[in-house]
Amino acid sequence: MSSRGAQCDCEELYRQLLDAMMNADRARAAEIIDSALSGGIPPARVITDILDPAIVRLGAMWEGESISLAQNFIASKIAEDALLRCLPERKEPHGPKGVAVIGNIEDDFHSLGRRTVGLFLGTAGWQVVDLGNDVPAEQFLEKALEVKASVIGVSAMMQTTALNIKKLRDLIDREGQKDRIKLAVGGAVFNWRPELVAEVGGDGTTRNAVGADHLFTRLQKLALASGHVS
Amino acid sequence: MTGATVWLACGVLREELTRLRRDGRIAGELVFLDSLLHMNPPLLESTLNDELLRRRAGGDRLVLVYGDCCAGMLDLARNFGAGRVKAINCAQLLLGRERYRELMREEAFLVLPEWAERWEEVMASALGPDPAAARALLTEHRAVLVYLDTGLVPVPARQMEAFSAYSGLPWRVEVIGLETALAGLLEAEARGGEQA
Repeated sequence: MSSRGAQCDCEELYRQLLDAMMNADRARAAEIIDSALSGGIPPARVITDILDPAIVRLGAMWEGESISLAQNFIASKIAEDALLRCLPERKEPHGPKGVAVIGNIEDDFHSLGRRTVGLFLGTAGWQVVDLGNDVPAEQFLEKALEVKASVIGVSAMMQTTALNIKKLRDLIDREGQKDRIKLAVGGAVFNWRPELVAEVGGDGTTRNAVGADHLFTRLQKLALASGHVS
Repeated sequence: MTGATVWLACGVLREELTRLRRDGRIAGELVFLDSLLHMNPPLLESTLNDELLRRRAGGDRLVLVYGDCCAGMLDLARNFGAGRVKAINCAQLLLGRERYRELMREEAFLVLPEWAERWEEVMASALGPDPAAARALLTEHRAVLVYLDTGLVPVPARQMEAFSAYSGLPWRVEVIGLETALAGLLEAEARGGEQA
């Protein structure tokens, strides 16, 4: 990894952050992020050059069985803290970019990823309607139609709950909303098993919250291109 | 081939499954793996894979008494033609889907009997050695500790008091029977590997 700047030894900060995450040292992680931000490193760069590599590395360690579920959980919490510190100011000079309906699918109660995505979308200028955990397919579609959202973002942590997303896919198609409403899917299981995106009928995914704005913008454009969104 | 059912289960349900078999409500062989494997899903998955591989050679009917505890749990069931209980975790198997949902909405942290005895071991490895940090993390998204009393062992009040003090969360007991779990087990056995 390159620091891409004389004032930021981002690689060293990344290593320090990773170490803090691995040791469940929430306070130390906060110090590292705060010192980077107060040192003048732009929040977006703190995310891409320090935080995101640490998250990616943790994911690799997780997949390689070198950290436990518990360490992964704590590290995720620390990552959320760090992301919150890095959130840019809200961009809504000309109204929201669009409306995004998000939630965890039926039977899924792992809210951390969804909440982080919601924060990132909000600060990127989206109007976010967060339906929370354990949301049935019908509620997702009903709300999307009500608020005229062209993207629904559905989160699931594990394989069995991810398969419940098929119900939403089927409902969207059955109600003739396939072109008008796009389905973004995400959650840890999709990072482990990318083929699951197609299996549940997702129109796209992102590895983490950093990519949520890009994904939702792309999917909204697809929906707009279909000519069904006013 | 014996045709007998082998229940491959998480050790967190040892007392419950043993009682059900002793009472003649389920039949077959019980095989338990350490419940702490839950803390390392990839290791759990490889351990289950090895065990299933070994058991399949014996020609027994296999039933996984596991929730969605590792990324490939459904694949394990499919690949080995094993039945699997339809529950996302052991607590949901004991409580049933609707009661589990209600407790999750209450932001309950569910404590199973076997787990209650090991809470310090689990918490120390899960949340680190700093009680203040652990408390902050626990209270952020949980409102209450709920001990699931299956009636097979005395309620471990001392351990729950200690866990409550550690976590900063109040605790209470939810008395549950074994009927819901039994129905889930028998359904999985009957269904077999067809729709694991």
